[in-house]
Amino acid sequence: MKFSKLFLIALSVSLFVSCSNDDESNEPKGIYDNGFFILNEGSSGQGTVSFSSDDFNAFTKDAYTTANGTDLLGKYAQNIFFDGDRAYIIAGGSNVINVVNRYTFKLIAKIETGLATPRYGVVKDGKAYVTNANTYSYINPTTGNTDDYVAVINLATNTVDTKIALNATANRILLENGKLYITEPYNNDKLLVINPSTNTLETPVTIGTSADCMDVKDGVLYILRSPSSDRSEIVKVKLSDKTTSKITFPEALDGAGYLDIYNDKVYYTVSNSVYAINSSATTASTTAIVTAASVANLYGFAVNNNRIYMADSGNYTSDSKAYIYNFNGVLEKELMVGIAPNGFYFNN
Amino acid sequence: MTLKKRFAFCFLFLCQILLAQQDSILNLKEVIVADKNLKKYSNSQSVLKLSDSVINKNAALLTNLLNFNSSIYFKEYGRGMLSTVSFRGTTSSQTAVIWNGININSQMNGSTDFNTISGSDYNSVSVKAGGGSVIYGSGAVGGTVHLNNDMSFYNRFENNLKLDYGSFNTIGINYKTNISNEKWSTQIGFSKNSSTNDYKYLNRYTWRGEQRWNQNGQYDVITMSANLGYKFDTKNSLKLYSQTSNTDRNTSLVSENETKSKYINGFNRNLLEYNGDFGKLTTNFKTAYIFENYQYFADNTRKDFTYGKTESLITKVDLGYRLFKSVEINGILDYNRTKGYGSGFGSHVREISSASLLIKQDVSKDWKNEFGIRKEFTDNYKSPILFSLGSSYQFSKLYNLKFNFSRNFRIPTYNDLYWEEGGNPDLKPENSYQTEIGNVFTFKNLSLTQTFYYIKINDLLQWVPGQNGIWSPQNTNKVRSYGTETILGWKKQFDKNYFAANATYAYTISENIDTKKQLFFVPFHKITGAISYSRNNISANYQILYNGFVYTRADNDPNEIIDAYLISNIGIDYDFKFLDSFKLGIQVLNLFNQEYESLEDRPMPGRNFNMYLTLKF
Repeated sequence: MKFSKLFLIALSVSLFVSCSNDDESNEPKGIYDNGFFILNEGSSGQGTVSFSSDDFNAFTKDAYTTANGTDLLGKYAQNIFFDGDRAYIIAGGSNVINVVNRYTFKLIAKIETGLATPRYGVVKDGKAYVTNANTYSYINPTTGNTDDYVAVINLATNTVDTKIALNATANRILLENGKLYITEPYNNDKLLVINPSTNTLETPVTIGTSADCMDVKDGVLYILRSPSSDRSEIVKVKLSDKTTSKITFPEALDGAGYLDIYNDKVYYTVSNSVYAINSSATTASTTAIVTAASVANLYGFAVNNNRIYMADSGNYTSDSKAYIYNFNGVLEKELMVGIAPNGFYFNN
Repeated sequence: MTLKKRFAFCFLFLCQILLAQQDSILNLKEVIVADKNLKKYSNSQSVLKLSDSVINKNAALLTNLLNFNSSIYFKEYGRGMLSTVSFRGTTSSQTAVIWNGININSQMNGSTDFNTISGSDYNSVSVKAGGGSVIYGSGAVGGTVHLNNDMSFYNRFENNLKLDYGSFNTIGINYKTNISNEKWSTQIGFSKNSSTNDYKYLNRYTWRGEQRWNQNGQYDVITMSANLGYKFDTKNSLKLYSQTSNTDRNTSLVSENETKSKYINGFNRNLLEYNGDFGKLTTNFKTAYIFENYQYFADNTRKDFTYGKTESLITKVDLGYRLFKSVEINGILDYNRTKGYGSGFGSHVREISSASLLIKQDVSKDWKNEFGIRKEFTDNYKSPILFSLGSSYQFSKLYNLKFNFSRNFRIPTYNDLYWEEGGNPDLKPENSYQTEIGNVFTFKNLSLTQTFYYIKINDLLQWVPGQNGIWSPQNTNKVRSYGTETILGWKKQFDKNYFAANATYAYTISENIDTKKQLFFVPFHKITGAISYSRNNISANYQILYNGFVYTRADNDPNEIIDAYLISNIGIDYDFKFLDSFKLGIQVLNLFNQEYESLEDRPMPGRNFNMYLTLKF
């Protein structure tokens, strides 16, 4: 008894020591440290995850299969979220979340029950909150647009604890200041708000339809919306009082795609061009800082490490490419990744 | 004499018939074939006929029969699941399936699922390689598969019952009765083939270390057929063919937690045919009503489904006239009205008329020419003029040379034209030019058919993603397909021992003309082989199938392939000579427990067993 306690203490001390060592020397924790993942949705086949080191010297096209052999990641890989040393890869078409070590990509567990077309996830206090599209209205006209839910997953056991019914559609989810915010572009004109301490919905904020991408800065949520027959705009929601303001884009920027905030700037895309404005700006910029001529259909977008990351959907039947630009609009790297790359995730 | 001639004919073109037992050969004399033009206008092409005795030796669903006995390549979404073909390197909608002379490819997606058809519902299944659009219309580009119910007009009362029981609760009940005299002919058939299909995936385990198996793969295919023929006199006869089928299948899961879905599809086909034979003039009228439908349950725990239905009315007038002793012509008028409605494509009617002219010239006993031309008229698309010309010359007993050149097409389907969203009403038909040279060598008990072909396909339809993420079909690609087909047949009798061997080999290059890449899911090599032995009451057979590797992607990524595989089956049966025939047999399928799949992440079963009982009375 005493011996085992002693052993445990010794073990935790050694872990602590090794951790702090890592922090000091910044030694990589695995082959996938100090780089970024490109999530490839897949099409008729399985989704894949590609990895590139930040200096582009190391590249793995299919990190999951490299680490886990014949195990199937799942169809329609949608999102990756992280918690501690773990990465959670959502495969929406297979109703599964793969739990892997984010530095080695070795499979730890799978979350296999309680999910129905899972989309995006965030983590708060040992629990993951994952939006589930559940059934779609073209199959289920009666409740397809009201049966979406958030699965609350206990990350210690990797099981779904509860489901928060939304009575609306849900897609992207964001955690800020203890609250969860959810958008969905096709059938929802509201920003849903959830209090995770009670797992209840709070009063939603009406933002308009076709709102998907969002990011947060200084207590303000920036939501990009692009209605098919109207001007695109950024809706700013002040989270403290849920008041909204707008930056309406000129017609030249119709059909805006993605939004990301990095340092003090809001970056947004139209077709294959990237624009940037200060977070305090009240009007849109129409001068592209980058135009990725090779990108036919922008499918994934991120700004990080003083770089702009863009992915082309390709034709969904063969491998496509990711392009990394610097802020001067110079292409730094072109990477051949998997089928339909749809997102970038940074592992530092 | 006549019999001998017929036999020689069969031997040349239909080498598989060699496997047929004595009774089938006798039947040839008295049987009236369902699709006259198949025999009449295919002298210059190669036709592989699989008789009922071959059909009986293979697993029930048509995929198995054709996969092991022809050069057609199959792609199966797991055992018993959706099964599509590639013939001579073409796409799945470029092989037309013909039921008693009527094209039955789906109006909705253009192709036929070969796992929804039971071979035993037909007297014979023939595989005709090469173009046939002049006679059979849309989709007869790579080749045609003919499902025929030939009727006999002689005193006959015969029942066939085959019962199967095999691994994974695979159950087959196939019953057929033939009742006929010189005036009447009746065939009634019933088939039911089902399986829980819960086979283990060889050497595949979940992350928890549990054995993986084929989940949600159960199927049940039921077909009922009734065919009736009446001969008014030697000149006039009337035939009615009717068939109803329902396939109820779940769709097997790729990974364990996918939503379980279900697909139900069925058809009802009715064909009324009048034949008049007035010496120089022959007449043939056909009226057919064909109904097909599907229901897809994306989640089979729910009642919600998407669906599609089409109803087609086809009328055909075929007038034949013997101009000279050596020249026959056929003029054919055809009208086809299809009404389609579904959750994916709304409701649309399309009408297609066509006129065609076929000429056959027998210059001599050894030299035969054929020529055909066809033009379709419709508002839906611009239709090219189709033609076919061919010649066959028998140089000697040993050697027959054949040549054929044709233009064929495949029309856009309901999905292509009307799918919401993405359907493109401005599509052109796919069209192709095809040329082939066939060499048929016959030496004693051995026959060898070697065909070289070249196909150029223009305006290949392909669904491509658009700017806004909506997929839409376009006439984008040009494809060049060429290769060789070899069919070998051999038969020998030593005393009471009967030996027969058959083999096919297809070498196929099918490349996108712009990219020079091989089309995905077209193997360079496919080989089939079968040997059979019988003596007294015992017969045994052994089959092999080799499929070369296929690319799964358009860019021919060498890392994304389905590996080649070689599988074999062995079967033995004993005839207790009770009733007319009372055979008890056992088959071992995938004898060497080969791990294989024809589509990525869809493993096929390892070694499995089937027992059967065949009764004739």
